[in-house]
Amino acid sequence: MASQPRLIEDHIRKNKRDTVVICMLMVILLFSLIFAVGYILGAPPILTMILALPVALFYIFITYSFSIQSVISAAGARPVNPQNREEKLLSYKVEEMALAAGLPTPKVYVQDSRDINAFATGHKPADAIICATSGALQQLNSEELEGVIGHEMSHIQNRDILVMTVTVGVVGAIALIAEIALRMMFFTRGQSNDRKGGGNIIVLVIAIIFIILAPIFSRLTYLAISRKREYLADADGAYLTRNPEGLAKALEKIKADVPDDPKGSKTVAPLYISNPFKRALRDSIWSTHPPLDERIRRLRSM
Amino acid sequence: MDLTLIIGLIVLLIVVVVLLWFFSYYNRVIRYENRIDNAWAQIDVQLKRRADLIPNLMETVKGYMNHERGTLEAVTNARSAIMTAKTPRESMEANTMLTGALKTLFAVAESYPDLKANQNFLQLQDELTHTEDKISYTRQHFNDSVLQFNNLIETFPGNIFANMMGKKSREMLQIPEASREVPKVSF
Repeated sequence: MASQPRLIEDHIRKNKRDTVVICMLMVILLFSLIFAVGYILGAPPILTMILALPVALFYIFITYSFSIQSVISAAGARPVNPQNREEKLLSYKVEEMALAAGLPTPKVYVQDSRDINAFATGHKPADAIICATSGALQQLNSEELEGVIGHEMSHIQNRDILVMTVTVGVVGAIALIAEIALRMMFFTRGQSNDRKGGGNIIVLVIAIIFIILAPIFSRLTYLAISRKREYLADADGAYLTRNPEGLAKALEKIKADVPDDPKGSKTVAPLYISNPFKRALRDSIWSTHPPLDERIRRLRSM
Repeated sequence: MDLTLIIGLIVLLIVVVVLLWFFSYYNRVIRYENRIDNAWAQIDVQLKRRADLIPNLMETVKGYMNHERGTLEAVTNARSAIMTAKTPRESMEANTMLTGALKTLFAVAESYPDLKANQNFLQLQDELTHTEDKISYTRQHFNDSVLQFNNLIETFPGNIFANMMGKKSREMLQIPEASREVPKVSF
């Protein structure tokens, strides 16, 4: 236990480095995708090059600027109402965990939903937001809620929120562009083939394969990272509360509770403390979260 | 290129690297130290806030708990101990005293249904518990920061720089003995 603070410092630094690498990877991926699409559509490579980079950068800038707003409105979340005792106690818990982590107090939101869930978003600790569902407030006791908030606070402390929020946007954009491109190819392929001649057919095939694989690749990279960060946030959250049992009990309750896809769950899913989808979609390789049983086991063995 | 120039360049490079290393180390020490001081300032703010809530609480319970003079006095005494505390140690001791006294008061309040239904009382109880939790979490952060700072300046090679900077290891905020006893409640 004694060496833990040093460890946290170390992996915060490592996570920040990872974040930069992932964001750059996403820019490159988005750029290559636009380039490949341009090539197939028969646009001159120079023109695509000149256009693709600013478009990719601009898109990521837009995602970055509007990410908080779009996540909040997708989830239909609203600021806490201090008149309601449950919600007041939630904002108290957030304040306490922020003090334990030595971070500025995030804004607190509530999402009206029967599910037990919570998420954190923002760019940096100073503009972070923690949101819990009203179901979580009703069904979790104070110790369990503290565990959940500790987990979210660790995402903020480990600078996970930026990369999670931005990659959610970029992964979505890549999927969208790839889909549009594949559809458009049906109409324009013949024409571009005529212009380029047979010699370029291999390049063309590579470009098409790339367009098909890009969304899968971007998603898998992101998922692997996101699962690793969930474990880390569990461990760091337990270190903040000094009580792994609280989060373990909360996860058990989440496991027993049947989720019913709250509003905007597709957009917000990777940000939640646990997967909001129905049971069948949990625990597959497409899952953004590690299996609940494994998380509970790790918490109990701390 | 002649040999002396190469050696000269290597020496210069080493000097630059050592200097950069020292600067980054220096900044880290200062940052960690500021974090400790900031954590203490936070605790202080919470202690004051807690002490400020007590008169309201007294005003609220006065009408109901006139017969619990001892309990009420213990709370008032602990409050003035917080107000007059000079060192962090004294502050923490007074805070522990107040926590114990409040625990007794809230336990006694259980037998006054009228008081328990009082909205004002409930509000104060929530808020006092909240400030108590905030103090204990900030103390935890304070101790984490002290541990980190001490690790930095006591281990090699940090200890050499720390000596040059005249930095001494800091003391953690221990929980005073008294708080480990369960407060006695007599009805």
